[in-house]
Amino acid sequence: MSSSNTSPDEPSTADDRSEDDSPLLSVRDLTTTFATENGARRAVDGVSFTVDAGETVCLVGESGSGKTVATESITRLIDQPPGTIRGDLRFNGTDLLALSQPELRSIRGAEIAHIFQNPQESMNPCYTVGWQLVEAMQVHEELSEPQARRRAVELLDRVGIDSASSRFSDYPHEFSGGQKQRVMIAMALVGSPQLLLADEPTTALDVTVQAQILDVLAELQAETGMGILFVTHDLGVVAEIADRVVVMYAGKIMERGSVEDVFRRPSHPYTRALLACLPAYGGTDGGIPGSLPDPTEPPDGCRFADRCEHAVSACRTGDQPQAVDLSDGHRVSCVHYQSGYDPQTVREDGTIQREETDD
Amino acid sequence: MTEPLLSVRDLTKYYSRTEGLLNREVGRVKAVDGISLDVSPGETVGIVGESGCGKSTAAGAIVRLEEPTAGEVIFRGGSRQPAERREDGSHPNDVTTFDRSELKRFRRNVQMIFQDPASSFNPRQRVGDAVGELLAVHGMGDRQQRRQIVEDLLTRVGLSAADYDRYPHEFSGGEKQRIAIARALVLNPDLIIADEPVSALDVSVQAEVLSLIDDLQQAFGLSIILISHDMSVVNAICDRVAVMYLGEFVETGTVDAVFTDPQHPYTETLVSAIPTPDPTVSRQQITLPGTVPSPADPPSGCRFHTRCPKVIQPDELDLDHETWLAVHRFRQAIVAGSIDIDDLRDTAAQQSDEWSVAAQLRESFDLPAQFDDETVATAVTTAITHLVDDSPEKAAAVLAEVFQTPCEATAPAFTDHGDGHQSACLLHTTDGNAGRTDE
Amino acid sequence: MEDDTPRTFDEVDWEQHSDRGGIALSRRLRTLIVGGTPIALLWLYDRLAVGQRERTFVRLGEDLGLSGLFSTLGIDFDPSSLDLLFVFTILIFGAYVLLPLLQNPRMTRYYWREFTRNRPAVVSLGWLGIVFVGGVVGPFVIAMPEQNLLAAYQPPVFGSIETAYVNNCVGVIENGRCYGTWAHPLGTDRGGRDVFAAVVHGMTVTMQITFITTTLVALIGITVGTVSAYAGGWVDELLMRFVDIVLSFPTLLFFLLILYIYGAGLGMFILVFSLFGWGATARYVRSKALAVSEAAFIDSARLSGASTYYIVRRHVVPNTASSIITQLTLIVPGFLLAEAQLAFLGIGDTAVPTWGELISSGRTAIDFAPWIVLVPGSALFLTILAFNFVGDALLDAINPESDAEADR
Repeated sequence: MSSSNTSPDEPSTADDRSEDDSPLLSVRDLTTTFATENGARRAVDGVSFTVDAGETVCLVGESGSGKTVATESITRLIDQPPGTIRGDLRFNGTDLLALSQPELRSIRGAEIAHIFQNPQESMNPCYTVGWQLVEAMQVHEELSEPQARRRAVELLDRVGIDSASSRFSDYPHEFSGGQKQRVMIAMALVGSPQLLLADEPTTALDVTVQAQILDVLAELQAETGMGILFVTHDLGVVAEIADRVVVMYAGKIMERGSVEDVFRRPSHPYTRALLACLPAYGGTDGGIPGSLPDPTEPPDGCRFADRCEHAVSACRTGDQPQAVDLSDGHRVSCVHYQSGYDPQTVREDGTIQREETDD
Repeated sequence: MTEPLLSVRDLTKYYSRTEGLLNREVGRVKAVDGISLDVSPGETVGIVGESGCGKSTAAGAIVRLEEPTAGEVIFRGGSRQPAERREDGSHPNDVTTFDRSELKRFRRNVQMIFQDPASSFNPRQRVGDAVGELLAVHGMGDRQQRRQIVEDLLTRVGLSAADYDRYPHEFSGGEKQRIAIARALVLNPDLIIADEPVSALDVSVQAEVLSLIDDLQQAFGLSIILISHDMSVVNAICDRVAVMYLGEFVETGTVDAVFTDPQHPYTETLVSAIPTPDPTVSRQQITLPGTVPSPADPPSGCRFHTRCPKVIQPDELDLDHETWLAVHRFRQAIVAGSIDIDDLRDTAAQQSDEWSVAAQLRESFDLPAQFDDETVATAVTTAITHLVDDSPEKAAAVLAEVFQTPCEATAPAFTDHGDGHQSACLLHTTDGNAGRTDE
Repeated sequence: MEDDTPRTFDEVDWEQHSDRGGIALSRRLRTLIVGGTPIALLWLYDRLAVGQRERTFVRLGEDLGLSGLFSTLGIDFDPSSLDLLFVFTILIFGAYVLLPLLQNPRMTRYYWREFTRNRPAVVSLGWLGIVFVGGVVGPFVIAMPEQNLLAAYQPPVFGSIETAYVNNCVGVIENGRCYGTWAHPLGTDRGGRDVFAAVVHGMTVTMQITFITTTLVALIGITVGTVSAYAGGWVDELLMRFVDIVLSFPTLLFFLLILYIYGAGLGMFILVFSLFGWGATARYVRSKALAVSEAAFIDSARLSGASTYYIVRRHVVPNTASSIITQLTLIVPGFLLAEAQLAFLGIGDTAVPTWGELISSGRTAIDFAPWIVLVPGSALFLTILAFNFVGDALLDAINPESDAEADR
């Protein structure tokens, strides 16, 4: 079995120096470990993916799968110590891990922006929304007060806040949940970012509001051509906005592919189980029994083996199974797709009531 | 035909806003403004609506966690004898009139599951004790017996008897909700009210918990009121549903009827927002302008009229629907004060071409430059002029004369669409039940 | 089926169960009553039956006809009201702090593990343990230090003093210096009282102050704070204004006034300062209780049919009380210092040997007999430091599970 550190399960992109060819964000072998009193906890274990300009990549998984940690590792928002980030993280070719703190700060918030799940916690309740926007702007640019104010009002308008000009001087608590999230997006846009890292931004919102926020993001992406890495546990959201999907479980990647591939031909048992939780796909037949493995002592073999109904002995030995190419860009890490096994065992287990025949 | 287990009639909950030392009442927040609902034995009824519509307040009022301002809640379960209404109009089974001991007995019959698993449990109390406490409060003094009952119940909700001795922080969100379900069941109630039981959970865990609730309901013949903002959750396990907007029910009926054939425009909007997890199908969502009005000052007549995509034109007008909507929304924006004239002036000043304030207004509200109807054209132009002159009240007044919709004058009564499917919309009202006119 | 005790929740026949308030006497309360009654009876006996000059237990022995037994065992104690109150507060501590810890061994082990991460705190706890044991057991083992002018200003065992200052040296004299002996391991003071014995007796006083003041402050503070928070409205307003008054009350002047008019001993000191010292605690408890009252589990408790009293006692208080343990350990140093200061100023209770009093008596001799100030002074300093360390460590130990939840 291959060593777990060089995981070649990443779509091969020519490692070119030219800006045009290299992806906006390239993550290779990202491993983030935390030193806890119970031992080292590997929240993210050898994960690789890319995000190109103008595309939306969704990072999907349950709570605890490591997706938030992966996102925060990109701009080193994780405290080191107790965390340790290893891997090859490149933004437009620049090695993010090699940057000094000041260089990193100039990228963060400008070229790479974050939005988080809980807008309440991301905004300072003591200052008006306008003030916070202006402050974010002035960190990265020299602007006069009126100039900054005008840009801030423009941004608020762009994200869909009515009467942006008067709302400029309102405090966060005067906005509803959905509006606060729009303000967060506005703050993220301040530096005209090329890459947006969105960590479950709609999870805390009503379904109707969620739909509006997703629309705003889609419009902004069309306008600016920014890349979006969108973290979520909700496959319904993924279907709406993703171009490509990366399915994570317990710190490792189980399956990746274009959104059509993953929804039409879900291959990994975990992906299928997640899909089956959606009423349109499988009804409420009780979710996925079991829970995540202990992150300080990950099991041998495939991380999902304990909860997988198709697990065989090969699933419990060695490392996470080598990823197999199913088609261009669609890769799955499951023994049943390796030679010597029959993929139909998984494909025809009936978990999913509605799907296309695969080619 | 059995009587319903629970009959809520015109339940109302107002909060007073007070000012000053003597707590003068200066306004009322009408969180729940007259809802009526029936729940039959063994039935699951959903209450669906966006955040802030008052559904959680309604739940609290039904169980008297908060005292209702008006209305009645007639409960026919538990050991209560069936009773007739008294001479003076009150009903002996009206929860809102229960005294302390009746209320305590009522607590055995109706229980609740709360939304946030993190704060649902006393962090200093073992979960087994938390569940068993209800038994103790109602008189079961034997500690062994309580323990036995609780351990059995814990296994039924998918945990183990050994979990009795653990503390809440040792469980995940989904597990805590299971314990909450156990706690709601332990007194063997007839009715459980679940207030957004799965909103705080991952999608995969949501399915588990919902299916548990469904199974337990079948096994023990429970009635359930499920409150959620998520239509797909309601769709999953409810038999009937009531759609709530700004403190009132706008539509009720079976889940099938309401979801496949929504009669009220608001319901249509909600249904259109349900995400379809199919990447090839693009969502046709109806978006509503503006935001939900404040319950402290709800719109007159039909409360949804300010944002309704199907709002009714006044009889005198005969515009095509697009134009009518545009004018209507323009008027609503003025009334809500959401037009920033200064901002528009700034933009006008900056641009060199004829991008005057008037032109901007017409553009952003999709108002055509010309109207066939003379009255309409004059009204719109005059209103714009008033706005430019910084008199939004006059603008609003001018538009109110011409564009007053019947929807704001009359609060619609419920129309019956058959089989218990009702909606409160003037579109369906026949002359017979035109609803009450608002003061 | 003969055995019809219901085994599952749906088999319970609720009509059978009487609707009691659900407040069974908890083990704690029972312990308190069982332990407290004899103390209360003894106190009454002491007040009513025993004369001023008689020793309580001696008289008790006579009344019970057990004088012979008592004298053989050496039971001739004469506890003051303060001593009895001290014992009662230890009982409360045992019932409400130790007993719950014993009942939940898992949690206790967890807290202990967290606590022991902090080395200084463990050492401090050890020192406080010594002071406690010394204070409780010491007076029975070591006699009250008595004046002995022949042994005045004796140095500690490894020290010496110029003979000019001593009129009699218990130890050897060499080179014009009088050397210490093991008879007085920490030396003696101006009156010849053994410093070691005095320090041990001082431990008793320290412990009395600690326990009694914390109990009173905790009791009043928690009650006022939780009632205020849970009731809200005008009750809250009223109580908080009352707290304002208590906080701004000039306690020291009041105490001096009482001292002047009635005379005051240690007991009065403790009483006065505790009765006016609970304001900050009440405020703190109130803010915690307000947060707790908003939590969903309080709604759940109300929905269970429990009475307000039950909810406050069983749900609000435990969640606020644990956070004030730290606060309490940090108030105690204040009281100890206050006592020492008053003693230093000469207005303390001279009948009782406290550390403050000892320090005060040694101030004039600081040049040539520094041990009289240093020994009790160090004891006081170490004790206060110990309380501070322990308080910090307790804060970390008791609250981290709330952080663990946030991490999920």
